[in-house]
Amino acid sequence: MNAMREQDGAADLAGIEEGQVFTSRPKAMTRERMRWYVDAQATAVANDGKPRFGGPTIHDDDDYALSQGLPGIIADGMVSTNWIMALLIEAFGSAAVRSGRLRTKYVAPVYEDMMLVCHAIVTGIAEEDGKRVVCLDVWCATPDDKKVTVGEALIRFPLDARGA
Amino acid sequence: MAVGRYVSDLSEGDVLGPVEYVVSPFTVREYCHAVEIDEEAFLGIDNQVAPPTLVHLDKLKLYEAACPAGTGPTARLHIEFDADYHRAIPVGERVEVTGTVSERFEKRGRTYVVTLIDMRSKETGDLLVRYRDTVILAYRQSAADETRGAA
Repeated sequence: MNAMREQDGAADLAGIEEGQVFTSRPKAMTRERMRWYVDAQATAVANDGKPRFGGPTIHDDDDYALSQGLPGIIADGMVSTNWIMALLIEAFGSAAVRSGRLRTKYVAPVYEDMMLVCHAIVTGIAEEDGKRVVCLDVWCATPDDKKVTVGEALIRFPLDARGA
Repeated sequence: MAVGRYVSDLSEGDVLGPVEYVVSPFTVREYCHAVEIDEEAFLGIDNQVAPPTLVHLDKLKLYEAACPAGTGPTARLHIEFDADYHRAIPVGERVEVTGTVSERFEKRGRTYVVTLIDMRSKETGDLLVRYRDTVILAYRQSAADETRGAA
């Protein structure tokens, strides 16, 4: 995968076509990855330049998760949402965070050590309100294709984007 | 109106915020590092920007301001993230965030709450992100296979 896919400040649509598929490398949803999010969340909410420990939550505390009727800790859905965002950034560069839409729905729990792969497929390229819009279906699934997060994304490019 | 105590008390029409803050390089780096968005534009120095997913944490800032007693008696479960974003958010930008509880409804014995959140540039008033967040309040798992995602 490339780094931020943008050169000389011009958005780049070259080579993007309907049906194109992007796939991330597999990642294990370890308890550390779950806790990193809990801590980052607490750090971001405090927003005072100091790292924080978050929790206890159903994402990082076994006893609390069990007390809530869960069989164990489960990942915050925003982890898979951000992994999908990372895939879009790899595929489309800074355009992926400049103007667009991302909708994700959490359709199954992600338990400790589940392996996940993120996917995006271009479902259409349209012109809308003076922009070129790339539409995608996105999802996060186990290696045997059990979907845990599903959704759609739009990425808006200026009409003069390279390849538009 | 049900602000002032627990998040689980929130009801349709409740207004959360506004909350104002400066998007800090530290926060963006910590957040992106945690979720493995590892491009230099997020973790580095030059022209650093925030990912639009960071807006999800504005909900927590709004909850903290409007519901000082915390979540409530049971865990909350995040069901859906839906953000429409209109331009990059550079670090150093002062933003203002407001939320409105647009729906509270029961479905299959669970209470769902939808919150609409706008993040705007404080200086220009430009809409940066419009976020629609859906959660289950007062979540307790009655059947593991019904579990959705995470809080």
